[in-house]
Amino acid sequence: MSGISDILVLIKQVPDTSSKAGLNPDGTIDRAKAKRMLNPFDRYALQAALHVKKMYGGRVTALTMGPPPAVEILLEAIAHGADQGYLLSDRRLAASDTLATAYALHKCVLYLGKMDLIFTGLQTTDGDTAQVGPQIAERLDLPQVTYCEDFSIEEGKLHARRIVEGGHQDVICNLPALVTVANAYHQLEYKTLRGARLIQELNRDEALKNQYIHTITLDDVSADPELCGLKGSPTIVAHTDKVGQIGGQCVMHQGKSIEALVKEITGGTQIKEFVRQ
Amino acid sequence: MSEESPEIVKPINADQPVGEVLVFAEQCLGELQPVGLELLGAGRILADKLKRPLTAIVLGHNLGDIPKTLIAHGADKVYIADHPDLEQYRTLPYRRVICKWIEQMAVEPHTMLLGSTTTGRDLAPRIAAHFTTGLTADTTELDIGDYDHKGGSDPSKIGLYAHCLYAIRPSFGESLKARILGPWKNPQMATTRPGVMVPLKPDWERTGEVITIPVDIDSSDYRLAVKETFREVNQTVNLAQADVIVAGGYGLGNPEGFELIRKLADCFDNSAVGASRKVVDAGWIPYNHQIGQTGKTVRPKVYIACGISGAIQHRVGMQNSDLIIAINKDPDAPIFKFAHHGIVGDLYQVLPEMIRQLQSSQSSSPKEVSSVV
Repeated sequence: MSGISDILVLIKQVPDTSSKAGLNPDGTIDRAKAKRMLNPFDRYALQAALHVKKMYGGRVTALTMGPPPAVEILLEAIAHGADQGYLLSDRRLAASDTLATAYALHKCVLYLGKMDLIFTGLQTTDGDTAQVGPQIAERLDLPQVTYCEDFSIEEGKLHARRIVEGGHQDVICNLPALVTVANAYHQLEYKTLRGARLIQELNRDEALKNQYIHTITLDDVSADPELCGLKGSPTIVAHTDKVGQIGGQCVMHQGKSIEALVKEITGGTQIKEFVRQ
Repeated sequence: MSEESPEIVKPINADQPVGEVLVFAEQCLGELQPVGLELLGAGRILADKLKRPLTAIVLGHNLGDIPKTLIAHGADKVYIADHPDLEQYRTLPYRRVICKWIEQMAVEPHTMLLGSTTTGRDLAPRIAAHFTTGLTADTTELDIGDYDHKGGSDPSKIGLYAHCLYAIRPSFGESLKARILGPWKNPQMATTRPGVMVPLKPDWERTGEVITIPVDIDSSDYRLAVKETFREVNQTVNLAQADVIVAGGYGLGNPEGFELIRKLADCFDNSAVGASRKVVDAGWIPYNHQIGQTGKTVRPKVYIACGISGAIQHRVGMQNSDLIIAINKDPDAPIFKFAHHGIVGDLYQVLPEMIRQLQSSQSSSPKEVSSVV
């Protein structure tokens, strides 16, 4: 008996920067035009949650906070095998910083009830802070394993390996716990045909979709709006500067045979000092 | 009131007491981590601007000369928590000891700085959430200045604030630097990547106060136990110490491209393999190879960027390398704006040729290698 009954995965929809769509010529992002995707680290978190379900049982709930289109990533999670999805969507959440986001999400966790394991990605690709996971854990008074790259559950405890500088660390953690996932150790199984069909059905049948996906507001989870959004955020972006271009000093090597180009580097720069003898 | 108004405006927080600047000095297996000294270098400037003491807090067991080293590097006061159960970093006991110590201070610290390490990024958000205070991740610059808050949904916050922490970081994928502030609550917190700030030259004559702080760990703090910590001797991930880093990006086209990257790295002594965020996100190579704002900050003697476009996210992690060589198909790639040498060409032609030339120079004396063709 693993004793696992409920697994939560916290995911976020982010702009897809690998696509040129929505990328302005100066490198800034037009979020309205940009393609959207599931945050890559959250994909690993989803893999981890589904791995637990497969190996040890339990029910997987995916939770996200965002505007209505964020429902797309909940459908994606369900297509991969999550059992249900919750979207916290509320205008009063606009401009939340990490602390306000963590406050709102921890209220959702309390609303959803007891969770044995909470997974989330190490960080998002649009915020890069890695703060929301640990801030939720603090609010819920849970132990946490950050930078997790592998784990198993033995005798009701989480045995996890986390990345540390120049190596890794093995820890044993009581449940419930919050885990931030850094690596794609447990490969996400491809969307099954069943999963793909289910999504088609859900997109056709609103009533059926509502059985799988629940949209909730701050009022549903009894969150104090004063602690959310801009009001609940202790930080603000006060000013932005364009980053100045440096240099223009680059010596370009082009338009010759590859051999000649490479020779200009291997022979003409100080890299030869470091060649292994 | 217009901006040109000659009236001198009194800052809203003018009468509030200003606390110290507190630096979390990380140790690992009894060894002080360099980032702590770097933070003291940055913290000294902030503390001098605020005219307040610079303090350091260090947790561990048998800390030896660490307090002395911290004082030599700019700390006015060092708080030490020495306990066998603090020898290895664990979130909950560290968070408990630090938060309790801050809570008993007459005035809470104005600023608290931590390293953006796997420890600092684990601990800082817990402390920030405990005090419901602001925290800015992975800053590249820190300063103290005024802030005139004009808008926002909360009218009670509008006004001029004195001596705020400016936490500056590049913003996501964009050529923008964001200045992030949170003057409404102290401590104002920030993390900074190792290798970004510059430590002061140590002054071993410098004196300071060393204060032993209480260690009061709750039984619930033992919910996580560290079984073992491994440090790899393997040079391929030792990015911080490498002389030469060969880094691969999305331009490699597939994960197998890293075979070629490794082969090129093997041509050099003391080399390491790095990667851009995109390929780590794609699962081509583990996260501990990642260079950039969300990975490691490096400054090797030679940095060879292969198929890396050079977005700001990557640039902030490697732009201080002594020699940057970029190989990219796209002549307009941003990396050519700050590399020293650029080869425009196909990686799968350039890299094998480079490996061939370097290997053949290995057998000959370096003096015989001709210079520019």
